[in-house]
Amino acid sequence: MDIDSFLRDPLSRRRFMSAWGVSLAGGSAAFLAACGDDTKSPGVQTGPDESDQADVEILNSVLDLELLAVAAYKAGAALLTGDVLQVGKAFLEQEQEHADALAQAIKDAGGTPNKAKASYDFPKLSSQNDVLKFAVELDNTAIAAYIDALPKFSQRDLRATAAAIVTTEAEHIAVLLGALGDNQVPDAFVTGRAA
Amino acid sequence: MTMAPERSAGRIIVADGHADTAQIAAFERDRRDLLERGFGLGAVAIAASSIPLLLAVRNAFAQAGEDGAILASAINLERIAVIAYSAVIDSGLLSPAVERIARRFRGHEQEHADALTTALTDLGGTPPSKPSGVKDVDKVVKGLGDVKSQADIANFAIELETAAVAAYYDAHRKLVDAKLLQTGASIMANEGQHLVVLRQLVKQDPVPNALETGKA
Repeated sequence: MDIDSFLRDPLSRRRFMSAWGVSLAGGSAAFLAACGDDTKSPGVQTGPDESDQADVEILNSVLDLELLAVAAYKAGAALLTGDVLQVGKAFLEQEQEHADALAQAIKDAGGTPNKAKASYDFPKLSSQNDVLKFAVELDNTAIAAYIDALPKFSQRDLRATAAAIVTTEAEHIAVLLGALGDNQVPDAFVTGRAA
Repeated sequence: MTMAPERSAGRIIVADGHADTAQIAAFERDRRDLLERGFGLGAVAIAASSIPLLLAVRNAFAQAGEDGAILASAINLERIAVIAYSAVIDSGLLSPAVERIARRFRGHEQEHADALTTALTDLGGTPPSKPSGVKDVDKVVKGLGDVKSQADIANFAIELETAAVAAYYDAHRKLVDAKLLQTGASIMANEGQHLVVLRQLVKQDPVPNALETGKA
């Protein structure tokens, strides 16, 4: 499937993400389990172990997306040239930094970080613009997932870190849209797009 | 990256509510009043650094404690950004293309202020008194009165947007309401996108850090 067809078809996007074990904002068992019961009565505290386990599940969900982004930038690099190639390399490094930080946070919480898949079946990317559009799509998916996950972290520092990653992903989108010749800041509220 | 094991109190409250339309109407009057104000722009070089001020603003924002107080600080910051963008639009120093960008960004800041005001009134709070003008902008980032070129304006706006990102970043450790956390992140991300455009205007690295925290 070419990238334009992929981007037009929500079902394809959802299938693509779920095929690689990516837990999607709002719908996955991991997210729902991690979400807990927000309506429980005041004073009922979640035990530390339970909170850590919930954080680990959420962290692994977004780690999957970061690992996917790293793989996508690696796969697309061959189609990039000049300044855009430099941008791609820089963003690849930043996605890897996110993945490393998330993996460390998972270990700190006593969990085991998910690994990158052996391979990813990406939509057909034939040009630099295809890579840029796909990168925008992945960043939007990541933003939606982080924003969904953000309030569910028991650790407040993780909420702040998630907001910082959301902001960086949004900045990537602004650069990528600029390279595509589009409006770099189309909306006052950056909410991403769940797959 | 800091991952200190600070614990939240436990619960996340998801609050829904209807907008207080009377409050919004009052705010709209305030907004129009603000936008009618103009500022003369001097010809002195932009202040070298506003880092101590940024720290002060960030601390005030984050130490507000309750969600309502944080919202009030955020509304004030967004209103100040509207004033600042209005001033630079009126400066006559911007090219037509950059002026269009500034108008769009001002619109975004106004949308943020409006949404936060609705959230605050939903919580039963009262929006803060309106900023009085350029003096209040100076409390966040100095130098608005000193800009003399488009580059000065871009650098000033970079400092202002950076202050906003830092404030929202720190607020994420304090806010309790789940929807406010999410709205805050979506606004913080938009300020980050403003930063990209502004940095590109002055040939800076548009995304210098993997974690955009607004820290110097």
